[in-house]
Amino acid sequence: MAEYASYALILFALGAYVVLDGYDLGIGILGLFDRSDHRRKEYTELVATAWDANESWIILAAVILWAALPGVYATVLPGVYLPLVVMLLAFVLRGLGLEMQSSAPDYRPGWGRLFGFSSVVVTLCQGLVVGTVLSGLPQHGGVFDGGALRWLTPYSVLCALGLTALYLLAGAAWLQAKTQGSARRRAARLGRPLLALAVAACLVLGFGLEVADPQHFRFDQPLRAVLFGLLVAIAAACGALAWYGFGREPDARPFAAVLGAQVAGLLALVTATAPVVVPPGLSVHAAASPVGSQVFLLIGVGCCMPVVLAYNIYAWWVFRGKYRPPAEAALAVSAEPRQPVDARTDLMTNQIAPTENGLMTLARRVGFTVLGLGVVAVAQDVFGGQGEWIAPVTITLFGAGSLTAWLVGDRRAAAAGEFDIDQAAER
Amino acid sequence: MASSATVELSRWQFAITAIFHMTFPALTVGLSILLAVVYTAYLRTRNPLYLQMFRFWRKIFAVGFGLGVVAGTVMTFEFGLNWGSYAHAVGPILGVTIGMEVITAFFLEAGFIGIMLYGEGRVRPRTMAFASWMVAFGTLLSTTWILSANSWMQDPAGYAEVAGQFRARDWWQVLFNPAFSYRFPHMLLAVLISAAWFVGGIAAWYLVRQRSLAFARRTLSLALGVLAVLMPLQLYAGDETAVFMGQHQPAKLEAFEGNWKTDNNGYNLVVIPDPGRGRDNLRIEIPHLGAVIGKDLTGQAHVPGLLQTPPDQRPNMWSAFYGFRAMYFTALAMFAMAFAGLVLRLRGRLFTARRFHRLLVWMTPAGLVAITGGWITAETGRQPWVVYGLIRTSDAVSHLSTAEAALSLAGFVTVYAVLVAVWIRYIVRTVKAGPEAVDAPSPARFLPVRPTLPEAAHG
Repeated sequence: MAEYASYALILFALGAYVVLDGYDLGIGILGLFDRSDHRRKEYTELVATAWDANESWIILAAVILWAALPGVYATVLPGVYLPLVVMLLAFVLRGLGLEMQSSAPDYRPGWGRLFGFSSVVVTLCQGLVVGTVLSGLPQHGGVFDGGALRWLTPYSVLCALGLTALYLLAGAAWLQAKTQGSARRRAARLGRPLLALAVAACLVLGFGLEVADPQHFRFDQPLRAVLFGLLVAIAAACGALAWYGFGREPDARPFAAVLGAQVAGLLALVTATAPVVVPPGLSVHAAASPVGSQVFLLIGVGCCMPVVLAYNIYAWWVFRGKYRPPAEAALAVSAEPRQPVDARTDLMTNQIAPTENGLMTLARRVGFTVLGLGVVAVAQDVFGGQGEWIAPVTITLFGAGSLTAWLVGDRRAAAAGEFDIDQAAER
Repeated sequence: MASSATVELSRWQFAITAIFHMTFPALTVGLSILLAVVYTAYLRTRNPLYLQMFRFWRKIFAVGFGLGVVAGTVMTFEFGLNWGSYAHAVGPILGVTIGMEVITAFFLEAGFIGIMLYGEGRVRPRTMAFASWMVAFGTLLSTTWILSANSWMQDPAGYAEVAGQFRARDWWQVLFNPAFSYRFPHMLLAVLISAAWFVGGIAAWYLVRQRSLAFARRTLSLALGVLAVLMPLQLYAGDETAVFMGQHQPAKLEAFEGNWKTDNNGYNLVVIPDPGRGRDNLRIEIPHLGAVIGKDLTGQAHVPGLLQTPPDQRPNMWSAFYGFRAMYFTALAMFAMAFAGLVLRLRGRLFTARRFHRLLVWMTPAGLVAITGGWITAETGRQPWVVYGLIRTSDAVSHLSTAEAALSLAGFVTVYAVLVAVWIRYIVRTVKAGPEAVDAPSPARFLPVRPTLPEAAHG
């Protein structure tokens, strides 16, 4: 049973990833086709507040897969080596483009394009990976043993295109929910064509799976058939709702509907394939790690998950509603100026330090440094291993001494006004 | 079985991606704590200086953190991409450890970073402080789990082997394995120290240029204060780690001390090893010091040499020796500078010692250099094992063609080289642009300023 719970957890993380990062990848691609720099800047800012958390879900899915079903992890990853590596490289570039864009005050077309194109690459590669896994990977003893170009099949290419359509749809739906004015109108207008495209892709991929799939689904079990039919019906209903919702208030409806369709679609796929994870033969049972590991993981992750969800929802709540530019107050102080302090003032005596003989100073500094090193050498018990207690005790004394000197010196400097902002001296 | 070229290429790829990834946490762990501290200080005093510090270091933190996340994503997948056999064998142990890292730490950081970076004006200042502390806490937790996982590979404990797969017999022993108790404090101090040098070096640059003085002095005082306390602790923790590793992985110690025969009582400064013939072509040493460090005051004892280890279990002396020297010599320089800073502070000249500030600017990357050297020693010194004594690296790779491994390596090298260049340029530009100006005459005491929340935040 533990392995099914782990499998459910993986699916949950994967589903969360598709739903969350799906929309921000879609927004990245949509930005490529937008001509307004103002809107594009808005898109990246919209993504910047959430992409860390969104991308974390794929990491979670990957490590739970590793921990709970090492057989699947060790088969799938080498099996789709090149698309996955390209996806990771695109992730890196996407993060770069996004962060550089976000830290710049205005829109930078170069970083924007990098963000957009790497979003396209990430999406295509994920589609290739999904398509390859669905059309089967050869393995032996939990380790992949196929060829380097195994991932290049007609079905996986179709899958890549289909996933792009799906993410674009999610992106448009999210934009309608989160933006105002021309950005919202644009997203609402794009919604229906994209929905039609996504539905067409789902139909092609669904029927194509019959041909590509090496395991040959069988729907002769009544439970499986009923469940599958039900989920497909829900997905279809959600699609219809999204169609109705684009361009209409409330603006959150299309995204909610797309989310429902994505979840139902993923579950339908699982219903059709379970318990096989990687066709043709790698099932949940065969790939699972020992029960002890599964239980530890399930308890650990299970206990953390509510907390994780709670603060993810909180973070979402903070940024709820339509996008607004960051609202930082300007730095300002209100107080009377104080007398500037000469930088050369000796803080102990409050007198200007006299100029000293350079050689003496150097000698004293070298002396102090040697003394310091000597103290540490003794403290480390370098000279002899005379007693276990020497090192900890002297280190404690040393640390406490440094701490005291720091705090006292800091306080003295603050009293002397060293830390006061002097606007005349600022640039 | 994969070819030896695939093994080599995969090792290079992992090393490059790991070092690259390490650079970011090495700064962001310490920076996140700094940010939380200065924001809390701002809350307590309402001194805009702290808000200025928060906003400036946040700019550098944000990009570093983002790049750390994507580079970390790469690491998560690489275990399975190139090291499928290893992933299959240790998944029940290390997969779980890293899974716990993701769920406890990664999400904590990712969940609150949005609020910390973009929340000003949307949430109350107290919530901002809370989010900053949560991010800092998350980075610390992350360090803990990762060090636990890596230490298990250095010195496995609490496991049982069943049909080529390792499973936990005792989770407590797996997570808090013996090596962890030495390596975790060592690494924790290392990341705090490297962030402190980074911050302190940049602050010193402003002092050299006589710009943003209050900001620079406050930051420098903080950084050097932390360093004066942590540097001696670190030398101690490092020494303890080296002694522990010498006992548990003798070959690593033999390699990083740079001796082949066990006939040297000196401490090697430079060696040119000749692994084929099992001797050093060149050796520059301080006589007797090796024995003294090995706790023999008479200076006669010999430092163990690598010939004691069978040839098929010897690590590469080049990388272990020079990795260790890079770490150790940098550490000594760092200690000397921290101590000099302490002396200058006691003499009230910390903010006027110009030559010291110039030297400090050069120390900006010191912590990163030491961390990189240390990890090179730790990881190459463990070879030829990937899990010490249990799985050889050559048995750990995936079924990949050499072309695949070469292509991906080339891809990573190219992208990461670009990334490092962009990142450094970004830091240089941000530093040159300087912190945001404060519009007001110099204050003595600050009137509390209540930030006004925009109406939209209320609903």
